[in-house]
Amino acid sequence: MSKSKGRKRKNEDEYDLQTILEDDISNDGTTEAAVPQASGRNAEKNDDGIQEDEYGAKDYRMHLELKTDHSSRPLYVAPNGHIFLETFSPVYKNAHDFLIAISEPVCRPEHIHEYKLTAYSLYAAVSVGLQTHDIIEYLRRLCKTSIPKGIEEFIKLCTLSYGKVKLVLKHNRYFIESPHPEILQKLLKDPVIQQCRLKRTEENMGEEFIKSQQNMKGVTFGQKTTVEEPEGNNEKNQVPEDLQKLIDNEEEEEEVNLETVSFEVDQEKIEIIQKRCIEIDHPLLAEYDFRNDTINKDINIDLKPAAVLRPYQEKSLRKMFGNGRARSGVIVLPCGAGKSLVGVTACCTVRKRALVLCNSGVSVEQWKQQFKMWSTADDSMICRFTSEAKDKPMGCGILITTYSMITHTQKRSWEAEQTMKWLQEQEWGIMVLDEVHTIPAKMFRRVLTIVQSHCKLGLTATLLREDDKIADLNFLIGPKLYEANWLELQKNGYIARVACAEVWCPMTAEFYREYLIAKVSKRMLLYVMNPNKFRMCQYLIQYHERRGDKIIVFSDNVFALKHYAKKMNKPYIYGPTLQNERIQILQNFKFNPKVNTIFVSKVADTSFDLPEANVLIQISSHGGSRRQEAQRLGRILRAKKGSFAEEYNAFFYTLVSQDTMEMSYSRKRQRFLVNQGYSYKVITHLSGMDEDQSLFYKTREEQGQLLQQVLAASDIDCEDEKVPGEIGGSRPGTSRKTGGFSSLSGADNEVYFEQKKKSSVQHPLFKRFR
Amino acid sequence: MSSKKGSSAASQVVHLECKNLHSYLKSQTQIISKLYEEPSICLAAYRDLPEIAKQFVIRMLCVEQPVPQAVVQSWGSQVYAKENLAACEALTELRIWTEASISGGLTAWDLTPSFKRNLKIAWLGGGRSWSMFNSVEQNDAKSRDISFLDNYAMSRWNCLLHYMVDSNASKGSEMEGISVDAVRIILHANLMNRNEQDGSYMLTSQGFQFLLMDTQSQVWHFMLQYLNTCEQRGLSLVDCLSMLFQLSFSTLGRDYSSEGLSENMQTFLQHLREFGLVYQRTRKERRFFPTRLALNFTTKNAIVPENIIENGNINNNINKLQQSDDTNYEKGYIIVETNYRVYAYTDSKLQISLLALFTELLYRFPNVTVGVITRDSIRQALRGGITSRQIISYLEQHAHPKMIANASTSSFKTTSFLPPTVIDQIKLWENERNRFSFIDGVVYNQFLSEADFMTLRDYAQSIDVLLWQNERTRTMVVKKTGHEDVKKFWKRYSKG
Amino acid sequence: MVNVLKGVLVECDPAMKQFLLHLDEKLILGRKFILQELDEKHLFIASDIVETLQAKIDDLMDRISFPLHEKDN
Repeated sequence: MSKSKGRKRKNEDEYDLQTILEDDISNDGTTEAAVPQASGRNAEKNDDGIQEDEYGAKDYRMHLELKTDHSSRPLYVAPNGHIFLETFSPVYKNAHDFLIAISEPVCRPEHIHEYKLTAYSLYAAVSVGLQTHDIIEYLRRLCKTSIPKGIEEFIKLCTLSYGKVKLVLKHNRYFIESPHPEILQKLLKDPVIQQCRLKRTEENMGEEFIKSQQNMKGVTFGQKTTVEEPEGNNEKNQVPEDLQKLIDNEEEEEEVNLETVSFEVDQEKIEIIQKRCIEIDHPLLAEYDFRNDTINKDINIDLKPAAVLRPYQEKSLRKMFGNGRARSGVIVLPCGAGKSLVGVTACCTVRKRALVLCNSGVSVEQWKQQFKMWSTADDSMICRFTSEAKDKPMGCGILITTYSMITHTQKRSWEAEQTMKWLQEQEWGIMVLDEVHTIPAKMFRRVLTIVQSHCKLGLTATLLREDDKIADLNFLIGPKLYEANWLELQKNGYIARVACAEVWCPMTAEFYREYLIAKVSKRMLLYVMNPNKFRMCQYLIQYHERRGDKIIVFSDNVFALKHYAKKMNKPYIYGPTLQNERIQILQNFKFNPKVNTIFVSKVADTSFDLPEANVLIQISSHGGSRRQEAQRLGRILRAKKGSFAEEYNAFFYTLVSQDTMEMSYSRKRQRFLVNQGYSYKVITHLSGMDEDQSLFYKTREEQGQLLQQVLAASDIDCEDEKVPGEIGGSRPGTSRKTGGFSSLSGADNEVYFEQKKKSSVQHPLFKRFR
Repeated sequence: MSSKKGSSAASQVVHLECKNLHSYLKSQTQIISKLYEEPSICLAAYRDLPEIAKQFVIRMLCVEQPVPQAVVQSWGSQVYAKENLAACEALTELRIWTEASISGGLTAWDLTPSFKRNLKIAWLGGGRSWSMFNSVEQNDAKSRDISFLDNYAMSRWNCLLHYMVDSNASKGSEMEGISVDAVRIILHANLMNRNEQDGSYMLTSQGFQFLLMDTQSQVWHFMLQYLNTCEQRGLSLVDCLSMLFQLSFSTLGRDYSSEGLSENMQTFLQHLREFGLVYQRTRKERRFFPTRLALNFTTKNAIVPENIIENGNINNNINKLQQSDDTNYEKGYIIVETNYRVYAYTDSKLQISLLALFTELLYRFPNVTVGVITRDSIRQALRGGITSRQIISYLEQHAHPKMIANASTSSFKTTSFLPPTVIDQIKLWENERNRFSFIDGVVYNQFLSEADFMTLRDYAQSIDVLLWQNERTRTMVVKKTGHEDVKKFWKRYSKG
Repeated sequence: MVNVLKGVLVECDPAMKQFLLHLDEKLILGRKFILQELDEKHLFIASDIVETLQAKIDDLMDRISFPLHEKDN
């Protein structure tokens, strides 16, 4: 079992680097992004030398020594870089914040969290200012046992060269800066970097480096938050002394002044030097000293007094602006937790021209609303650049547009062409990238060549990508600055408490029969159009409408969408639905008490903001995407009124047909959410359903007719909707490779690979048990 | 790996049958009157009765004549007619009372004289005193405190369990062995059996289930098995049972005298000492301390497996676990998370071995073991004969205090400490295996007349071997075991 | 005379019955094994096929299940 684990990980790593290299060879003229060697390192390999006990578990007992006061320390560190944290420890809060800063969460349920140290997570740690020595020391004190030797080395290896050197834009000049003169010396020895250096002879004659003092005073954001974090356990007497000292130190102010040395570089050669530094394992952290940027004009924008930041929003921003400058990176917050406010606040802090990139036209509208709501920006300052919006974008302070709008290569109108030119010429203070993990890396690189921005802030709900190209974004935007804890946000009422359920719908005999012999593409349609699924869907809708809930039903497959919606006489929205009809349906949904259920296709994933919906039903979903699952959940995560009274105030149902591949896809999708602490209840029976006469497809005949329709459906009907212009949607001529279809026949290696990971270790007690 | 439904199609998995006191006494029909010669047994039987039955007994205890059934019936309200009936049945089954007729042709209930007499003795005194209570209270310098007794009891009991686990796992265990007698009982109880090839002992499916039970139930079950064989060893069942109950009525922390016990009973006492039910400093010592294992020796404290997790009873179990420090002296150590992770704060070989029966273990830290519940790990356990109830019950019994604390402070109504989704999923994985039932059978069809079909079918039905039938197609399926009889019947029928 | 057939009675839900019919029809177990189709939930099959059949059923269940937990990411 352990061997196959190790092997699998190796495969993933190789795959990662491979695709990155492949991408680099692409010839669409975009910049290549190399990846530092250190990022290939992996602590999991440390496990290879560890013995297994008689049950097949990794036996660390010999390698770790338990401290005598272990019960007052909150975590364990395993040789493979995994860290286990007790949430019930008195120092949980501090430990949690620390771990988020240095590691990636694997799972965070109620009692014990698991994190893992990776090269990327450590890179992120040093990016926000943590030093190697501090990381190790803090970890050592928090740990119940001794720290495994390999881990110390791993941390050193991964952090030694990171975070020591910054690329700073100051007074419109670019500098390579570091608090460590010896490192700059080292860099300058490299011939490529030497060539990039700019020597302004009138200034530093005779001096190697420019010395300066950096004022690191932090920034405040708008009003002070009035929302206090709930008190943790203040059992100070239980906390070991050395640990307490560290915690007390932490809460002191960051150092106000830091001595640094720097040399200037040629603006034309920025990319060269960035790439070179990565190659020699000293990636540059990009920081924007916006307070000292005199050349770029300030825009007059401030947060309104009414904009009160929640603790986690403030925390994330502090990570970004911690030392008085703006760091580039990614902030991860669950959907519905207020990402927009974070984006708006960041723009109000930097106070320079801001560019906001979104997924769709509707998102653009939403962001504009958010800016107007939380900041003093008005219509004259905010401009939208989309195919529909006709604002005069040039000369504005805040420009909101979509990724596709600026990266597509088709012909533009004359006006649009002018706007693009202007956009490219500007020096943007900050670029906000919404839903950053939905963008393919290639598209993102195009964005970078088009837009010159001093600071980049990526916002997303999940760092997950099915293709695992995290590497790219790490080094293209910046490291993860902050990641919120879903369960905690739920507990504190910031996002809705959601009851997640998987509803098992038995296949009817006839449908199942066809499913078994159907060709691959038909199978999906068969399990989606399963009459029992239809009935259960209808039943759930009726049930919730009676409660007064607002319901959204998702279907990726259009055939099913139209059929279900029409039969149940509910409005539906999909790709071809015209804009004004969409608006009409949505308005009705929001305000008309008679319209309580709507059916939507994939378009709704990237559009629509419906804060009042509190029931989500999925009847057909793209096989296996964890990100999509999390995003859909986000639709109903906005905290509802009357949050605390009822047990749950939002419901998320996934209807799956039993005994089909849909079951396994469903499970795969759930994994991310399960790791955030959600649990999916399995519902196998809806009581009262059999007696309900109002449900369709009760008789064999009706079911038979439905079956005929399904069998007669075309191949196109069997596929998921293709939304043109959608990020990641199909480009003309290419077929979207949905991992799902080949898996349906079971012939997909992927599925078998997972299944073959059966434990080869048999419990010793069973060894001879017949 | 295919399930154990082999070619015979009959399941080879046997579920552990645990009798409670009621069923145990019911099964001792021959000697039950002898049993009632012992006050302690009468008292124990009384305490095990349903509340209403207890009421009846008390009311009738001091009444000389039999009491008319009509009168007894009038004691209970109509609303609870079902419970009244159940109480009467219990008393009848246990031979605590019998039917009698009195003048006037009425039927009445009469308490069994021996029971009546000895129960009175138990409560009111008189009769032969219980020997162990014959003691002058001495100031014992060597007295033992309760935590010592608890530790002793558990370590002794664990020796037994370790033996069962160890002799399978690795050769050369570090634990002390157990006595030959104890091994014999284990074998007799079919918790382990002997492997013909190499003579070693292996756990049976019942053995696994036994290991997952809570301690009190284990003790109870084990001792019943012991009692089943004690006569063969020359010990009187009545005496042993009586002594066990006497111990259960004693006080924890006090010592008692073993003087006056017959030699056989002294032997019995030594066995109890080995299993951890009593503590004695040395073999020769005339005084002994009962431990908690002995004190809790009744079904009130044992959680009989069949009753767990059905709707109402779960609360009883939780209350039991939480109530007194009494049954909770074994500290819980398992945390189960909503994402199926299991964290067990233990390094005990036994506990980890049991956990590994249905969990996949991932990491071993010095004081904690990390594992995960998977479909495969549960199925492995299910194939070994363990049920989902047993697994769930085990996890609940040993729930870490933090899990228990969380459940009580949570605003959600929970009936269990464990995450409900995990519980449900374990049951679902069990159900998966029940989607098909296979029964060896025989089909009869192509009957010439409807009458023929119906006759044969009805016959099969009457001898309880009919599995399936369809009148329209004149087809029926009969159990394989019933085929001979049905064939014979058909021969007779077609001839005559 | 009456026709007598020895074998194994199978009881299951309707969808699973279709699964067995499918296996039988396509000779997936190497041969036909259904002796008689009884009703929506019952089949009568050859006795010696049970173990092979059970393995196939396990296989189906395996394929549609997916590990819920994260052992490694």
